[in-house]
Amino acid sequence: MGFELFTSMMKEEWRLHSTVFGSISFALFPVLIFGIVFMSSFLLPLFRAVLPAGDLALVTIGVFLLLGVMVGGFGLLGNEVMNRRFGQMSLLAYSARSLPLSERYIFTTFIIKDIVYYLFLWVLPFVLGFAVASPFIGVPAMLPLLLFVSLTMTFLFGLSAIFFLSTVYSRSKPALLVIFAAVVVMAGWAFLSYGTRLGDLFPPLQLLRNATWISFFLSCILVIIPFVVSVLIFKPEYSGTSKRFINLLTPLTRKLSFFPTPPLAAKDLIDLWRSGGGIGQVLFSFLLPLGLIWFFLSVLKSLVPDYAILLVFAVTTGIISATMYTWITSFDTFSSYACLPVSVSTLITSKICTFTLLQVIPAVFIVIVTIITGMVQYLIPAMVLWGAVSLYALSVSIYLTGLTPNILVYDVRVLIAFLFLIGVPVMVVIALSFINPYFGIAALFLGIPAYGLVRKGYTRWEAKDMASF
Amino acid sequence: MVTVIEASGLTKQFGNTTAVDNVTLSVPQGALFGLLGPNGSGKTTMIKMLTGQIRPTTGMATVLGLDVVNDPVGVRKLVGIIPEQETPPSFLSAMEYLAFVGAVRKIPDIEEKAAWWFSFLEFEDKRDVLCKDLSRGTRQKLMFAQAFLHKPVLALIDEPLINFDPIMQRKVKGYLADYVKSGGTIFISTHILEIAEEICSGFAILHNGKLLYSGAISELSGKKQHLSEFFFSQVQI
Ligand SMILES: Nc1ncnc2c1ncn2[C@@H]1O[C@H](COP(=O)(O)OP(=O)(O)OP(=O)(O)O)[C@@H](O)[C@H]1O
Ligand SMILES: [Mg+2]
Repeated sequence: MGFELFTSMMKEEWRLHSTVFGSISFALFPVLIFGIVFMSSFLLPLFRAVLPAGDLALVTIGVFLLLGVMVGGFGLLGNEVMNRRFGQMSLLAYSARSLPLSERYIFTTFIIKDIVYYLFLWVLPFVLGFAVASPFIGVPAMLPLLLFVSLTMTFLFGLSAIFFLSTVYSRSKPALLVIFAAVVVMAGWAFLSYGTRLGDLFPPLQLLRNATWISFFLSCILVIIPFVVSVLIFKPEYSGTSKRFINLLTPLTRKLSFFPTPPLAAKDLIDLWRSGGGIGQVLFSFLLPLGLIWFFLSVLKSLVPDYAILLVFAVTTGIISATMYTWITSFDTFSSYACLPVSVSTLITSKICTFTLLQVIPAVFIVIVTIITGMVQYLIPAMVLWGAVSLYALSVSIYLTGLTPNILVYDVRVLIAFLFLIGVPVMVVIALSFINPYFGIAALFLGIPAYGLVRKGYTRWEAKDMASF
Repeated sequence: MVTVIEASGLTKQFGNTTAVDNVTLSVPQGALFGLLGPNGSGKTTMIKMLTGQIRPTTGMATVLGLDVVNDPVGVRKLVGIIPEQETPPSFLSAMEYLAFVGAVRKIPDIEEKAAWWFSFLEFEDKRDVLCKDLSRGTRQKLMFAQAFLHKPVLALIDEPLINFDPIMQRKVKGYLADYVKSGGTIFISTHILEIAEEICSGFAILHNGKLLYSGAISELSGKKQHLSEFFFSQVQI
């Protein structure tokens, strides 16, 4: 019975993604990862010449930690977990409620399914790529196995930590604050005693450097404890609560009257806020990934000037900021608008406006970062780089994915187009700002292709039948 | 006679399925026109095409004189629609949803109008509850109110009565009949034949996407035949 629920959830997940995004493209995804890793393995000696040996491991671990955090942050935000993932109630996680199984049981199955799913999709192909290349590049035979264990643990830790934090968040916000404060204090203390070698303390990384059983057990504990605690304190929320809400829409619509379509923007903001998204999303899908990225960028300190790190960080913040587009598109399928006189392009325009409004968050963030790092003199190039990259990446998302940016995660063709369209200009602006921080201001020119892409996106998505899956 | 819906050769294919197959149909102003047919016969697809939500594969249609392919937003501005699946945006309350529709359609005095609907369909107690937490019947009430909020000259409504209890059904049937009397036109899809027979002035039968019959209810009474007998005789060929 239990296992059947699990297998049908897996099938459902596969079908959901593969029917929406085309099963060929979807199956190609792991193949793509495999290929990239396989080929980059041969460049390993080259990397080693540039980076201190251990740092490459640190960066890889960082990427997978980030992956776990992102998967967790997108998928598992507290009570809205299933709602948010699917937006519709017709899927198994819901219908299983009519079966004689406890809510907690279904939820746990759901999480395990997610883990297995992403393990096959991301971790396994990565390790296999390296494993197949390893005989040719002369690394110890045990290394691929260790890599597998270490990356799995890292990914799981990211997922499990976010799962824990978001469950705490949904139960008690003060408790979350206390935990954050504790983590900051501990990290501060560790930083003072260990300096930038802080990462070495992370058990999964120790596994990769010099594996011992102790580091293995520590890693397991690190994954299991937050996971178990969250399952224990998980609080199911049944729909049908008759909580009352005062009308925020009318006043908000009035406040947003400078927008082209105030009610649509007001609705987006209310959706984001009431879904528990407001603070939670900022925390889990924005600040946390960026915090990690900052940490791993600081590894490069010895190699490049400080301002370069700041500007690369600004560019990265731009790319992460652009994912806010998924925050405001995940709550409505087009069918919610089907009976109203709005066109797809009106909707996209309205989402762009809401997006722009949300950019206040990263804008403030960038200002704070420049102050903290004592590089206020580079505020202007940092702001320009962040803003231009964010708007440009938004325009690419709109052109490629219309109102369903989640396609990016699953459709390889779209993903490659995305990486290419973002990667090339980003490399150019980064290179320019390495030469001279103020050359980065040239990123303003990204406005031109951005405008063109949005225009093209309008006609492109207007021409499709409105998807309402 | 003024017609408000004029479809000719309307066809929609989804892959290999032909959901609507070469349907030619016209609906006169002031009619309460029923679109009948078994499950999967293409009623919803027909309504979606007539309201510009999906594009016909071939054929064309005008609604209130506007071409549904060239001006879908114009059509939706004028008409009221109840979609088959009652899916109001989930994080708005019932009142907020009506205010939202009111703001998008630029309807004046929305508070008052909404209040009238809450009281008429008897769901005042749910006005501040989030749409996602409403029962199906209440959602359907909300979608009903939403469709008629701007007093459209034409409403296309897909199975609007299916989740209502008998008392509410009677109330709503009365509303529809009055609506037509005061000059509106209603295009309603349903499989409840009794309702169709009771309130419709004209009807059409779809089967496997094909139009089997289209005419006035009065033609049946001329033949002394009940709608249900007629329906079964048409569909079971
Ligand atoms: N988006 C779609 N993709 C593929 N096939 C579809 C789609 N929408 C409808 N169909 C198919 O078109 C046919 C007609 O469906 P439609 O929903 O119009 O029927 P209906 O008369 O409204 O049925 P019901 O009485 O059950 O509501 C069905 O065979 C259905 O499976
Ligand atoms: Mg239908």
